Amino acid sequence: MSEDALDASRAEAPPRRSRRAWLAGGIALAALALGAGTAWYHSRPTATTDGAAILGLVLPDADGRQQAMAQWRGKVLVVNFWATWCAPCREEMPEFVAVQARDGPKGVQFVGIAVDDPDKVRTFAQEVKLNYPALIGGYGAIELSKTLGNELAALPFTIVVDRQGRVAHTQLGPLKRATLDGLLARLLPQA
Amino acid sequence: MARLADACSLALACSLAAGIAVAQGIPGLQKSLLPADQAFRLSARALDAHTLEARFDIADGYYLYRDKMRFRTDPISAHDPALPAGERKHDAFFGDVATYRREVVVRIPLAQAAPGTTLTLHADSQGCADVGVCYPPNPQQLTVAIPASKYPGPFVEAAGSKWFK
Repeated sequence: MSEDALDASRAEAPPRRSRRAWLAGGIALAALALGAGTAWYHSRPTATTDGAAILGLVLPDADGRQQAMAQWRGKVLVVNFWATWCAPCREEMPEFVAVQARDGPKGVQFVGIAVDDPDKVRTFAQEVKLNYPALIGGYGAIELSKTLGNELAALPFTIVVDRQGRVAHTQLGPLKRATLDGLLARLLPQA
Repeated sequence: MARLADACSLALACSLAAGIAVAQGIPGLQKSLLPADQAFRLSARALDAHTLEARFDIADGYYLYRDKMRFRTDPISAHDPALPAGERKHDAFFGDVATYRREVVVRIPLAQAAPGTTLTLHADSQGCADVGVCYPPNPQQLTVAIPASKYPGPFVEAAGSKWFK
């Protein structure tokens, strides 16, 4: 192909190219719209989800006292499944301690459910100066978390229940501070 | 024109991928993570009448802890295997810990030769994904036939783990 022929084909190309570009752009927009729609569907407020399964739980704390989750009904409840053998769990807990200290008076209650034994939980609780209850779920808590949506049975797994007892957020993996702050800003009564 | 078509299909593929990524949102981690028995695939074989070989094939982005790995066999017992050293990983709570990535192969010496028999291998393991989740300790079992000949037997794979259906 000569240079001229190349030029000629280039000269001819623009209208077709722009039609193609429009077509591609249109399809891309449609795909994005589809994605955004599905995104909305997945991240839509799950406020209608019933938190009764969580509020009905009764588990022992690290000292062996039975604790009913229902005692925190009416608060924004952050229920965190964790274990001492789970590094990402341990890494996010100092953040939870800080948020409990800051927002506890505004009606936030963190509750840890440990997939672990009491001795290890007590040691770690002292180490991070845990300021919220650490309930002992043992390995049974893995099965419990599966019934609450933790399909992969992995940790950390966190469920946020609003003041009306509805599940507002479910998180597999670390709960980012920004996500948590955003949720609490939405769920706590405005001062 | 071919390049133009490429660009179009690329744009389409990219926008579809972006759309899907956006769509997954928070449940994305739930969807993109592997179940433990796929992230850590256990298989084993008899190397000879008195040695088993167990291996974990570990998916990219996942790791197993060396000190959580245990093997035992019945009805013929096994000696504690020499576990590979692994890679050092710093853990704020446990200090330096050894981990395995990609694959780990362990030779398990049987207490006595058992040609022509069948053994049950019990393997305990525990691992995590780099994205920031850990899986519970995972007890698995495999049935391994010990060949009567001097040649290694075939690999057998573990069925689904206890925690997953």
